[in-house]
Formats: sequence, C-alpha cells, structure tokens
Amino acid sequence: MGNNDVLVVGSGISGIISALELANAGVNVYLLEKEAVVGGHSASFCCKATNVCSKCSACVVPDKIREAVINPRIRLLTNSTIKKLSGELGNFRVEITQQPRYIDVEKCIACGLCTEVCPADPKAVYPPTVEATPFCYILNEVLCLRFKGEKCDICRENCPTRAIEFELKPKEQELSVGAIIVATGFDVFDARKKGSLGYGRYANVLTGLDLEQIFTREGYLRLPVSGEEPHNIAFIQCVGSRDEDHDYCSQVCCKYAMKLAGLIKYQSPDTKVTIFYIDLQTAGKGFAQFYEEYKESIWFVRGVPVEILQTASGELEVRFENISQGKVCRDTFDLVVLSVGISPGKNSWGLARILGINLADDGFFDTKDSLSSNETNVDGIFLAGTCQGPKDIPDSVAHGIAAASKTIQALGGVASQRRGNQRGH
Amino acid sequence: METKIGIFLCNCGEAIRNIDFAATKEEVAQIPGVTCVNLSSNLCLKEGKEKMISCIKKENIDRVVVAACSPDFKEHFFRQVLESAGLNGHLFSMANIREQCSWAHEGDVTVKAVEVIKMAVNRARLLQPVKKKKFPVNREVLVFGGGFAAINAALQLSRVGLRTTLLEREAILGSETVELGSLCGFDISSMMSEVEGDENIEILTSAEVTAAAGKIGGFTVRIRKGGEEISHKYGAVVLATGYQTKLALEPELKSDINIVSQEKLCRMLEDPNLEIRPRTIGFMFDFSDENSRLSTLATLNNALAAKQKWDSEIYVFCKSVKVDGPGAEKLYREARDCGVVFLKCEARPRITADNGRVKIEAKDVFLGEDTILACDLLVAEELLLPSEGTEALSSLLNIRRDSRGFYQDENVHLYPVASEKKGIFFVGGCRGDLDLSRVLTDVSSVVVSVYELLSSGNILTEVEKVKADPQKCVACLTCIRVCPHDAIQLVRVDGGKEVAEVFDLACDACGVCAAICPAKAIKFRAYRDEEILAQIEAIGES
Repeated sequence: MGNNDVLVVGSGISGIISALELANAGVNVYLLEKEAVVGGHSASFCCKATNVCSKCSACVVPDKIREAVINPRIRLLTNSTIKKLSGELGNFRVEITQQPRYIDVEKCIACGLCTEVCPADPKAVYPPTVEATPFCYILNEVLCLRFKGEKCDICRENCPTRAIEFELKPKEQELSVGAIIVATGFDVFDARKKGSLGYGRYANVLTGLDLEQIFTREGYLRLPVSGEEPHNIAFIQCVGSRDEDHDYCSQVCCKYAMKLAGLIKYQSPDTKVTIFYIDLQTAGKGFAQFYEEYKESIWFVRGVPVEILQTASGELEVRFENISQGKVCRDTFDLVVLSVGISPGKNSWGLARILGINLADDGFFDTKDSLSSNETNVDGIFLAGTCQGPKDIPDSVAHGIAAASKTIQALGGVASQRRGNQRGH
Repeated sequence: METKIGIFLCNCGEAIRNIDFAATKEEVAQIPGVTCVNLSSNLCLKEGKEKMISCIKKENIDRVVVAACSPDFKEHFFRQVLESAGLNGHLFSMANIREQCSWAHEGDVTVKAVEVIKMAVNRARLLQPVKKKKFPVNREVLVFGGGFAAINAALQLSRVGLRTTLLEREAILGSETVELGSLCGFDISSMMSEVEGDENIEILTSAEVTAAAGKIGGFTVRIRKGGEEISHKYGAVVLATGYQTKLALEPELKSDINIVSQEKLCRMLEDPNLEIRPRTIGFMFDFSDENSRLSTLATLNNALAAKQKWDSEIYVFCKSVKVDGPGAEKLYREARDCGVVFLKCEARPRITADNGRVKIEAKDVFLGEDTILACDLLVAEELLLPSEGTEALSSLLNIRRDSRGFYQDENVHLYPVASEKKGIFFVGGCRGDLDLSRVLTDVSSVVVSVYELLSSGNILTEVEKVKADPQKCVACLTCIRVCPHDAIQLVRVDGGKEVAEVFDLACDACGVCAAICPAKAIKFRAYRDEEILAQIEAIGES
C-alpha cells in the first residue's frame, strides 16, 4: 500500500507555502518545525514601507502562517525533529521526536494567568512574540524554579484550562508519507567570524537582521546603548557572501540594505547614509527604479571596508579605499550595519545523512541536475526555499510552490503506475 | 422574520476580571432579538465548542455573537464552529472584550464591554449568508509559445493529467531554444520528441489567436491556422512567449563584423571554419539596462569559452556584475582566475569605429583613469525586451504589462506567475529576465495552480460575494473600468435595461467596485455599509 500524505520539514515561508499549496490540491500534510513557533526567519522581518510600499514582502508571511495553521489538511508538529527515515517514494516511514513544550498548544488560551503568578524573576513562563503562531505561552526550562529543583507548582495550579504539565517526556511517533519536502531554510551568517568588523565587541555595530528586529519591535531606529538617534550610518555589504568561504551571492542583502536605508532616510531625512558595496544587485522587477530614486540621497561607495575601530569618543572609524580620490580614507560613523548574508543551515549535514540526500560544495542541499532546483538525488524527496541556495521571499515562495508541484507530479505518477499494475493483475 | 441571536460570553478562563459578567449577561439579554446568552470560561476549547454547537441547535439560533478575545486570534475558529452547527459561517459577529476592553483599561470596563457587544448584535441582525456553489470548468489548457518554458509547461501539465494545446507562431517548436540549449548544456531535442509523442499534447504551429473571450474555466479562443479559423474552449491560459534582445548601440554604429551580439559570438565560437580568431574582445553590459542577469550570465559563459578556445585577451566593461543567480558568482571567479579583466565604470563607455577595429573609451573607477582599448571584436550591450506580439496578445486577453512591456504579475510578493485575471498565467522570459532554473520554478508553480483549478472539473466558490442591484445600477461602467480582475460585465435584464453583473469565479472580493459605485448599487456582502452604520448607531443609543 502506498501513501499520498506529504511531510514538509521546516515551517519558514517556503515550507508553509509548499504545505498550503499541497493542502489546496487535496493532499494531507504534516508540517514539521523544530522550534516552538512556526515562521522561521521570514517571520521576524520588518515592513520597510515609506510613504509607499517598498515591496520587501515581509507582510505576506504572517497571513500565510495563519492560513496554514487553520488549514484542516495541515497537521502542525512543533518542537519536532526527524530521527530516522526508511522506505521510498510513495511509501516513506519517518520517525519523529517531539520535545515537550510543557504547555499544551490545544489547551492554552493565552489568558496570561501563569505569567502573573510565576514567582521567578525574570518570569519563567511568558507569552510568545506578538506574531507567534501557534500563540501558546512558553515555559522556559532554564528560568523555571521547578527545573532548578524547587517545589514550585503555582502556574500549573492556577492554569484555568490545565494546560501546564511538567512531567512530560519527548514523544516518539512514526509517520507514513508518500513524499518529503525539505524546507529547512538557512542560517544567518555569524558576523563575529569577521573579527575585524567588530560585531559583538562594539555595541554600535549591528547586523541587518538586528536592524530588522529593531524596526519590528520599536518601529524606529535608536543607538543600542545611548538611545540617541543615529546621524551617520554606514551599511557594509557582502558580509558572509562572495568571499573565500562563500562562493555565492546571497541575493537578498543589496535589496534589504537599500530598503532599510530608504526607510531610515524617510524617517529622518537628515541622517547621512553610506552603503559600501562590491556590485549592486539591482536586477529584478522595479528594483532599478528604487535605486535610481535613492542614489542621490544615499552615498554609494564601491569597495567594502575590512576594518572597523572604535575611537575613544565611541564613534566607529571605518577605513576604506576611496576610489574616486585614489587613496585610503578614514571616516567615522555612529552606527555601522553589516549586511550579513545567507549561510547554509548548520543542521543540514545531519539531516542530509538521515535522509540520504547530497550536500553541494557550498553547503546547501544539492539538486539532481543543474536545472531542476527542486529535485534531490532521492526520488520523492524535494527541496524548497533557501535550504537549496540563497533566495529572497518572492523567490522562496515561487520555489515552495514549485516543490509542491513536483511532489504532486511524482505522487500522481506513483498512483497511475499502481492503477496500471492493478489492471495488469 | 425576526432573527434569533445567540450571545456567547467568554471570561477567558476567568482571566478577565475587570468585567462584571453577571451584570453584562443580564443587560445584553434585554437587547431585542437576543434569544439566549451563555457564559463560558473556555469557549475556544473543545468543551466550549461542543456547548456552543448544542446551544445553537437547541435554541434554533440563526445569528451568533461571540464576546471574547480578538477576532484576529479566534474568528476563523468560531466560523468553523458555526459551520459544524449547520449555520453559514458568515452569520457571525465578534465583540472583542479582552484586548480592546479588559486589557486596554485599568479598572472596571463593564459599561464598555456591554456597548461593544451591543454593536456586534446590531451588526449581527443584518448579516446575510454567503452561499457556495460549484462551477463547471473546462479541463483543457492553452499554452502560448514553443520555447523552453512552453515545452516544459506542456510536459508537466500532461503529467498531471491535463490536456494541453501548444500554440506556436513559428513553423517549428523551439527554434530559438536550440541555441540556448547548446549554451546551457541541455538537450532540447529529447524534450521536443517527448512533446511530440505525448497524446495529451496537441501542437499547433504557424498558428495565431485572433480573438479571445470568456473567463476562468471557460476561455473561448479563436485560432487561425493555415487560412482556417477554429474556436475552442480552454479552462486556463499559460503565456510562455519569451523575450527578445536588441543591441544597445550608438546611432552611428551598427552590428557588423566587429560588433556582435552574444548569440552571434556563440555561433562564431562553434564555427570550425572561422578564419581569424579575434585577439582582443570587449564585452559590455549593465549600462543601459539594470536588468542584466541574463547578459551577465551570457558574458561570463562566452568569455570563458573564448578564453579557452581562442585564448583571446578579454575585457569586460560593466557597472555592476549581477551575480544574484545560482552559480553566477562561481563563474565570475572562474573568469577572473582565467585572466578575464573586469573594468567597472559608472558611465557608459564611448564606442567608436577605428580602422576596422572598435575603440572603447571608458573611465574605470578602480584605476581612476581614462582607459582606451582597441579591440578586434565588441560584444555589445543587449537590451532585454518582450518578444514581438506581447502587446497585441496582452490587449487581446486584457491583461496588464509593466513599465518595460513585460507581463505584470498580480502580486509581486506572492505569486509572480499569475496575472490579475484569474486563470491566465505567465512563465519565463515574458515576465522578466530569468535564468533557466528560475524559469523551471515558474513552470512548476503554474502547473500546480492550473491543476488545483481544473483537475476536478469544477471549482467550489462563494457566490454573490459582491452583487450589483439591477434596480439601482445605471450602467455607468465605472465598476467595469476599475475592476482589477475583469470580473464585471454588462448584461441585459428583463425590460431591456443593461446592468453590471459580477462573475463569481473571477471575482476576488476586493471590494473596489463597491467602494467606487456612484449609484451605491454594488454591495460588498461580507461587510455592507448598513452593518457599519448599525454599529455606530449602537454607540449612539447609550
């Protein structure tokens, strides 16, 4: 007997889109997520609109997450990872381990009583972020007094729906599916690896992702320590892309840096913004016009600085080659943003081993041939999104839909073969 | 008929403490039309849901008001509860007494909660059901074009069991794809024989469309082939009409033996009888058109080939190298390692003819100096344009194009292959500069969408989401002009009068027509003006 259900591994935007597309085509889907909330990286990006939409696509993510969570054909498995795989296209068996989350997603009504009564400081049980889905409270093992050996039971006693349960063990289960879509996404490049840029040492050196999260949280930009408005900001492109270790362009950094810079200029027009770059990746619909609009108000400098030092007064001194003057220059900024790129996920190697799929030289999952970007070396296992290589949100969405399409085509092939066999008997 | 409204109050596990629920219950029970009021502490859990369903059935409730948390959080859940109780999900109104009352204020908020519930009740009274209906659709697909994207689309559509017609203007399929194939290393001939052998695919070459009408599920298309015209119905249309390139050259220059296109260079590289090998070659891209992903790839591939085959000196002039595609950065590195020189310039270099050679004068930003290069061969910059006939086809099908003339997608964030007209899709080069792997992603995306639409032979959709009142409509055509989905048309009703009618399958319920209708004839079913006014009136009452 075969099975037409599909397992989607990873619930970032690509995984969600694949799952939704399959569900809409009548396929039942298990959506596996290793974290407690779905959405992956894309759920943490901020809207970069000025008085007009800058088409950053961050807004599509929450809507799609909600659509997926309420879809009756999609079964969400959070805190879960794959342990073992056997079988083949049309008949895979997958062993899943689900870590306990101590608060039952089905029962939590997000009333907030547990946080109110929690005696720990800081509170060990708290609401997830505003956009989190499922919107279920989180119990932090590290902060919880009970996990420190004390006899605290206050939140469990006060929970009106009895959603809190301490005595939980990891749950094992086996799923039968016909095909698997891997959509495990990427890791943000760790800017600490570029020590000379000072990330992690200087408070006012941030990454693009930090900036996204600041805008999501606050809606405006202030310096991390002083809380003052920055007046002179530099963006440094290609941090963790296009270097010895990363033989690829991350495809998103030019876009997000320019859109964030545009947002900063819109909120405070007097702020000076400089973007250091190698090549501007302005291809793509409407992006060239965006660049035209901002090239007068933002200073674009060719060449990326390799060193940032903090002066005694706390400013950041950036050394770079000023090509138009033909000499090495120093300029000071009060905030430097590193446009960190997309790196392959650190767990990719482990997953590749479990699933038997190949990794490419650059660390992303490898495809069957250079043209078909969804198919792996294993029949019935498909790739969606940035786990296959860098992509922006619209490209990830398109790739997610395409993965669903390939899956349906493969399962359809299995089904018709089966029908053929039956006729033969 | 008097409506029977049921109110369900929820104190959120007794976490809402600043509302006096007993008093609230008593007060809202007085509102005319309210049949019953229930208080629960866990309406969104299984027990709450079961209680709600049994109450709706027992009391014969036909409108439901839930006073609980934010509709953003649970509205979809309660609509499903209504459906499982046998009520239409649209007969539901929600009062937010948690986030907008209890959590927003300090102290007792019973008065506000009562008012918010009264508003919801006033709206509930006017709610109307939105029904669903199955529309039959034609299961055949028409694919325009005969290149890489079109052939792949036809093959994949056939694979999911949909009959497909490939309509190609030229006499043979894939005439331009053969070269592309040799450049990118895939075998187009095997794809073509697969298409030709597929009984699910009909191939019409030297054919064109003369007229098209209809909407999703039933496009009627007139096709002219060999002096004959036939009319056929298709459920969906896929455009894969590709792109064309044009050399961006100074007016006094033209393409000749020294100034060539990428395509011409490809042919020279493959020509075994080529007499003179160019010793110095210049390439140019990314000055006149920022959308130069394809030019970048072609330059990198061709520069590497020329280096290996001819060992020429190669200079590439560009503003930025567009490496944001798969494998492009690797190629760029490989080219530099082989000795290809890249000169980056802010301004477009000046090109002049120079005694049988081509002189390029540029200001390279890294050297900061004027550079003059005399080369034997210039591979000129190419502009990417939509293929011929794109404009005619877009007006025939009534779909939009972007500022550069390519097909405009409906949603730039979500789904770049769908037009604003439901049932019409586009893939590949006709929507912008895409490398081949992105083209294939496009194709697969479209195939699953078409499959979802057509595979079962009918589409279930809500009807009369937006409806025009024939009494009030003055046929001013404003709605037809603004409808982004081309879903409204004029129909003749009894008495000979022409009125606007919304075609439910094509309608996306965006509400633009309802907002703009000068005669207020069009109503947006899910949220009519009366419902909003009724809510405002409820505030006035107290």
